[in-house]
Amino acid sequence: MDSVKGTLGLSEKMRGVAIVGIGHSRFGRRTDVSLAELGFESIREAVEDAGIDRKQVENVTLGSVGSWYEEGGPAVVVNEYSGFKHVGSMRVEAACASGSAAVRNAYLSVASGESDIAMAVGLEKMSEVDTLTAIELMGRGGSYLWEFENFGMTFASYYAMYAVAHMNRFGTTEEDLARVAVKAHHYGAMNPLAQFQKEITIEKALSSQVVSWPLKVYDASPVSDGSAAVVLASEETARKLTDTPIWIRGIGASSDTANMSRRDGYVGLGASVDASRKAYSAAKIGPEMVDVANCHDCFTIAEIMAYEDLGFCKKGEGVKLLKDGQTMIGGKIPVNVDGGLKAKGHPIGATGVSMIVEISKQLRGEAGKRQVPTKNGIGLTHNVGGTGHYCYVTVLSRSR
Amino acid sequence: MSQLDSEPPTIHSQRTLHLRYNIPISKTHQFWDSLKDGKFITTRCKDCGEVSFPPQADCPVCMSSNSEWVDLGTEAELVTFTYVQITPTSFVDSGPYHVAVGVLPNGLKVLAWVEGATTAELKPGVKLRLEARLSDGGSPYYAFVPVK
Repeated sequence: MDSVKGTLGLSEKMRGVAIVGIGHSRFGRRTDVSLAELGFESIREAVEDAGIDRKQVENVTLGSVGSWYEEGGPAVVVNEYSGFKHVGSMRVEAACASGSAAVRNAYLSVASGESDIAMAVGLEKMSEVDTLTAIELMGRGGSYLWEFENFGMTFASYYAMYAVAHMNRFGTTEEDLARVAVKAHHYGAMNPLAQFQKEITIEKALSSQVVSWPLKVYDASPVSDGSAAVVLASEETARKLTDTPIWIRGIGASSDTANMSRRDGYVGLGASVDASRKAYSAAKIGPEMVDVANCHDCFTIAEIMAYEDLGFCKKGEGVKLLKDGQTMIGGKIPVNVDGGLKAKGHPIGATGVSMIVEISKQLRGEAGKRQVPTKNGIGLTHNVGGTGHYCYVTVLSRSR
Repeated sequence: MSQLDSEPPTIHSQRTLHLRYNIPISKTHQFWDSLKDGKFITTRCKDCGEVSFPPQADCPVCMSSNSEWVDLGTEAELVTFTYVQITPTSFVDSGPYHVAVGVLPNGLKVLAWVEGATTAELKPGVKLRLEARLSDGGSPYYAFVPVK
């Protein structure tokens, strides 16, 4: 495959980078811990998993959106609480893709030679404000004056517009959308870190309260608290630390317009198409080589569009892929077998890192009863910020 | 300290913030002024001809700041929509409401409330018209209405 401009991956100019440590907190309503305590849960686990001394970490990047928690500078309190001092550090924001943006920053730190060991931490604590305030803060994530000030758009409303267009174009139904939620809860029930660990039925999903028609409560990811962390190391260091390094083979990043009115269409996300094309090019793979994927299912329609935008099927065939069971374990391309954003929870800054933790577990063969057969040893994460305002696609692999 | 039923103990912060922004519109005030007279205008780049909505003084295509105001038009066709039933905290007294993206004959798209329609009446292709409105607080805004 030809290389595409704006890609990060195996390049002769950069060093190889591997994930050598992973950590993940329990997701959910975490009123039992402060922001820094919640970050510590995944940071300690990742450091211990890597088998390193915390003082070896040279760069810590925090992915967090904030404003629903009291801290104005989340990276500094997290660093202090976890004992990181004199490290290169920043908080990065790319809406719901902030976690992947943090991983990209840590990747660059190692790949460029700035660090031998760097960490990316994804952290969000959304339940310190009431739910309608959290909905408002997310709704302001588009173009404020032209979409929010007078029209009160919400995160659900944006995706509902895509759902209506997809239904109109391809005959997608509300029941089809509910099937995504049923799948998410099926796997969430097997994930002890998930916010919701109960199976649901199509009937239950369809009878839930309408949030923004046609999307209902069970089409939507919840308001969540949680953290996830990864330790990245250079090739030389990674080989000393572990027998099971998970290599970052390619990262594709993309974006789209702030205003919905400026989008070309509403049946897919242009940023997802572009970011995946870049990631595939960097990793020198095609979508058919991916064994397991975590896709951004902030709403059920988003998962169906992701199948299509990432090339797991043709545009308009996402529902068929789902109904045929091809995105379940045993299918052609299992997606979100950790429960996805829908059932695992969606602490927005943590989500991208959480996806990378899950795919790392799958590629290491440590996913237990949720383990997917990984014959190519290749996994993918697809993390969208806002309504396709940002997109990061990261390709991970067991082989360098 | 407060301890609700089964919730862990928290400190309910005594410090509150009331956030209300002053949004600069000096480069696009003509849009809002004109809206008060019931007219819809937007910006056109005099160098490359790009017409933008929302209006912007600086051209996103050629980066020229040489813009002029042109008629936006009001007739539109519905592209997609939703019915917002769970509204954000600052809209709790305004909801529920329909929001649509409509496309104008010149290809520009506009996002706005649709007033006076039911969900069953709305679908892609339905004819809409933009109308100027004044909010209860006296601020100009705009909405689509279905053309029956």
